[in-house]
Amino acid sequence: MAKPEAGLKRAHFKDVRLPVLLLLPQLAILLFFFFIPSFRALGQAFFLSDPFGNTVHFVGFDNFAQLLQSETYHESVKVTVVFTVLQNLLTIAVALVLAFASDRVIRGRGLYKAIILLPYAIAPVIAGILWAFLFNPAVGPLAHVLHAIGFAWDPNRVGSDAMILVILAASWKHVCYDYIFLLAGLLAVPSSLLEAAAVDGAGPLKRFFSIGLPLLMPTMFFLAVMNFVYGFFEIFAIVDAVTQGGPAGATNVLVFKVYIDGFVNLDLGSSAAQSVILMIFALFMTLLQFRYVERRVSYDV
Amino acid sequence: MNLDRRSTLATLAISSALWLASAMPAAAQPVQVQWWHAMGGALGERVDELVKKFNASQQKYVVVAVNKGNYDEVINGTIAAYRAKRAPALVQIYERGFMTMLLSDATMPVQDLLDQRGYKVDWADFVKPVAGFYSYKGKLMTMPFNSSSPILWYNKAHFEKAGFAKPAETWQELEKQLYAIKQKGISACGSVLAGDYHWSLLENYSAINDLPYATKANGYQGLDTEFTYNKTSVVSQIGRIKKWIDDGVMQIAGQGLSPEQLFTSGKCSTFFASTAAHSGIEREAKIDWSATYLPWEEGKQPKNSTIGGASLWVMKGQKPAEYEAAAAFLDYLAKPETQVWWLKATGYVPLTNKAYQMAKSEGYYKDHPTREIAILQLTRGTPTANSTGFHFGNFTQTMMAQRDEFENVVAGKKTPQVAMDDAVKRGNEILRQYEKLNKGRY
Amino acid sequence: MVERAPVLDAVCHAILLVGVACVCVPLYLAFVAGSLTIGEVQQVPLPWLPGDQFVQNLRTAWTQANFGRLFLNSFIVALGITVGKIAVSLLSAFAITYFRFRFRMTAFWLIFVSLMLPIEVRISPTYESVANAALPVQWLVEKLHLSAAWNAVTGHSIDIQLSWNMVDTYPGLILPLIASASATFLFRQFFLTVPDELCEAARIDGASPMHFFWTILLPLSRSNIAALAIILFLYGWNQYLWPLLFTTDKDMATAVIGLKHLIPRADSQPAWNVAMSAALLTMLPPILVVVALQRSFVKGLVDSSK
Repeated sequence: MAKPEAGLKRAHFKDVRLPVLLLLPQLAILLFFFFIPSFRALGQAFFLSDPFGNTVHFVGFDNFAQLLQSETYHESVKVTVVFTVLQNLLTIAVALVLAFASDRVIRGRGLYKAIILLPYAIAPVIAGILWAFLFNPAVGPLAHVLHAIGFAWDPNRVGSDAMILVILAASWKHVCYDYIFLLAGLLAVPSSLLEAAAVDGAGPLKRFFSIGLPLLMPTMFFLAVMNFVYGFFEIFAIVDAVTQGGPAGATNVLVFKVYIDGFVNLDLGSSAAQSVILMIFALFMTLLQFRYVERRVSYDV
Repeated sequence: MNLDRRSTLATLAISSALWLASAMPAAAQPVQVQWWHAMGGALGERVDELVKKFNASQQKYVVVAVNKGNYDEVINGTIAAYRAKRAPALVQIYERGFMTMLLSDATMPVQDLLDQRGYKVDWADFVKPVAGFYSYKGKLMTMPFNSSSPILWYNKAHFEKAGFAKPAETWQELEKQLYAIKQKGISACGSVLAGDYHWSLLENYSAINDLPYATKANGYQGLDTEFTYNKTSVVSQIGRIKKWIDDGVMQIAGQGLSPEQLFTSGKCSTFFASTAAHSGIEREAKIDWSATYLPWEEGKQPKNSTIGGASLWVMKGQKPAEYEAAAAFLDYLAKPETQVWWLKATGYVPLTNKAYQMAKSEGYYKDHPTREIAILQLTRGTPTANSTGFHFGNFTQTMMAQRDEFENVVAGKKTPQVAMDDAVKRGNEILRQYEKLNKGRY
Repeated sequence: MVERAPVLDAVCHAILLVGVACVCVPLYLAFVAGSLTIGEVQQVPLPWLPGDQFVQNLRTAWTQANFGRLFLNSFIVALGITVGKIAVSLLSAFAITYFRFRFRMTAFWLIFVSLMLPIEVRISPTYESVANAALPVQWLVEKLHLSAAWNAVTGHSIDIQLSWNMVDTYPGLILPLIASASATFLFRQFFLTVPDELCEAARIDGASPMHFFWTILLPLSRSNIAALAIILFLYGWNQYLWPLLFTTDKDMATAVIGLKHLIPRADSQPAWNVAMSAALLTMLPPILVVVALQRSFVKGLVDSSK
């Protein structure tokens, strides 16, 4: 039966006062803590201002122009894209392998799942601290292993080492999220399809690649979007704990740069302009997510 | 009655209560003011003692010291509080923030504040580099509080073993010494890079060797100053540091490891760091250590070094009584007795010549000769335009850009000249922003 | 599965064991580090067996960083976010799915927009908002010249100074993190799948909307609420950027922020042992929550509109 309007129950109440009252708490909170700050953030991007707010010049799009011409900003964009893509691929790949293995295995599946799920409970900053310690070139046990093998591991001086460390920490923390969805997806594959394929002589791997994987595509697309959001925003804690954006900007992801420019460099106009650009990106990603994955809900954003 | 209506009413009630509460007149009690500072750990305890002494010395005012985190957190907290019209009376801001605070229109010049209230502070008695850094148009805008200068710490045993009485006076000679120490296998590394190397090894290097860091007398004569350190031997200094790092003579501590620890544990032979490290080193060192002046370039007549640390600013927007309290506290801080107590407890330098003389006459520096090095270095000769200090807007930002480029050199991605050219370019863009915003106000 | 493939099964077990090892080894090493003295933790390589200092290090962290208070703060913040967000979202979702009124779509879009901006991108102005939440009202008061109006009407002069400073308070920590619509959307999705017959029956019986809400809708939503509660509790407990910037009062920080301050930095002792023990302690409550309530949690993550 078609609904009269989108998102409205066919059986509904007609009242005006009550729903408005019900909406008041959320809208009030949104007004004070979302809309007003967001507009001010947007606004600040068009001004050159002293941190205390007493001297303010309107500069139009100058802050944006400067950003787009700034080499450090380009670097930051590059770093963010490289990081997000690599982290995305690594996370999905590992999660897929683990999901496939969990799908096949029946004994102990519950236990495996429970343990693999643990990093979800761990705060990103803690994951960062753990990995910073483990790979600390001076005292880290895993760094020692690398040195013993012959790698000159030094995330304090070598940019790519720092990037690898951040990617590892981020993926470690996020694999379980993708894993849960992929496993659920695999378990939901109709057994009739699999049986038919088996009868035709397809082995388990072939069944996975020809049936399971294609059916997982929508889920994987959803996860790719979620991983992008994770990589762009939730990574702040890990970068702050592990590398502080260094060395020489090798891990200076956009969301960290916003923080440094705003809070350490006290360059509020530039920080706000960067926020606006991030906002536009977040908007785009959410719209994408909402359109293609209407049925799924994002909890992390 | 609906949940929401109740909570809405409750919210209104709370707000009105808050409003009424703030409108009530204060009872006749000592005037209380807040002082936001960045001194944590042992230094924080000294601050608490200092404040206690002030509060006990009179009945009219009470200062409440609040540790708001590190210097970045204090200035951000101050900014947010100020924007919300709730700034504290006194804040401790790092020296780098001088121009930001000066042109913010949010502060009360300290010299005026105290003079207007009849306090007799001998402003001309402040040690020249200290006064030079914190003055504008001949007046002290902020009260210096914890000032330091970098010195050269060294491991006596290592130097003696290598056949040297103490570190040489010039960079060239010192380099020979450190390489010799490394070759003879006496220590794992000749030196360790301090966290604030931009201050000790670049800015102070420039001052001591009488090199201009920027045009317009390092920013004192105008906002249209431009960095010029890429045209001086700062570039070769960076090359020198890189060479030391590559040859294993200079060690980088890295995340999680304290450079000071590498020195006090006896691993590295020298450490270019603030005199304020005295308290830590005296407590931790398992080695026979000493300290001496920072080296200078061969053939140069060394000038004075410049200061680091922080100072106290008085924020606008206070009630008259609160200004009285702030003025009284600042006057207390300026007293030689207070300074002598503070320098003994912490390792920071005396701010006025009177305080310096008082400590000297007590024989303090005879008993602690290394503690005198910083103040001797600060008062060496007459400051030139290159060694008075730095008046750069957005100084933190330009410093971060310079550090970024230095890391590129260390990683081998850029040569020192290219890196400093880029650092100067980025720094100048930042300076131009500051100039644009504050045109005609300096 | 369908046929027996023992080799593949063994490989799968091996893969899963590697996965488990990747999760557990870092945690185990952290535990070892957290159980050593500060001298021992600096030695390379780290010993593979734990020492005996774990409780001692915990005690150091507890007193040094005031962890007792920080834990309490984390609990309050996490619970506040959980309860606050769920309560507010249930009401809003109910309003936009079960009522037909003129402002419905406007409200819907207003709420939807808030999904687009995570707190990281609006961090500075949020701080200003919290530092003086009444500032917008004050601005309005000034723009409308209310003081002058009052004066004109009553002849009394009045100085209206509204300020509501929530810096370093629990509401200040909690409210900005509630200000997004993710939970509202979850409940909206769920409410859309509730059979219409239930509502029709309620209407026929003459029940008021709120009665329907309390007696029918809410009990049905129980499992969704439970799953969301777990996720929100984790989210609240693990918050980092906002508490970091927002609380400068040491007594108002959360456990995660306290932990950050224990990380050895360049100018402090390399007390990784204390930091690691504190890290393990801080991750314990969320882990307990996940382990104990794993089923509803997974169900909530995956199962949104079945």
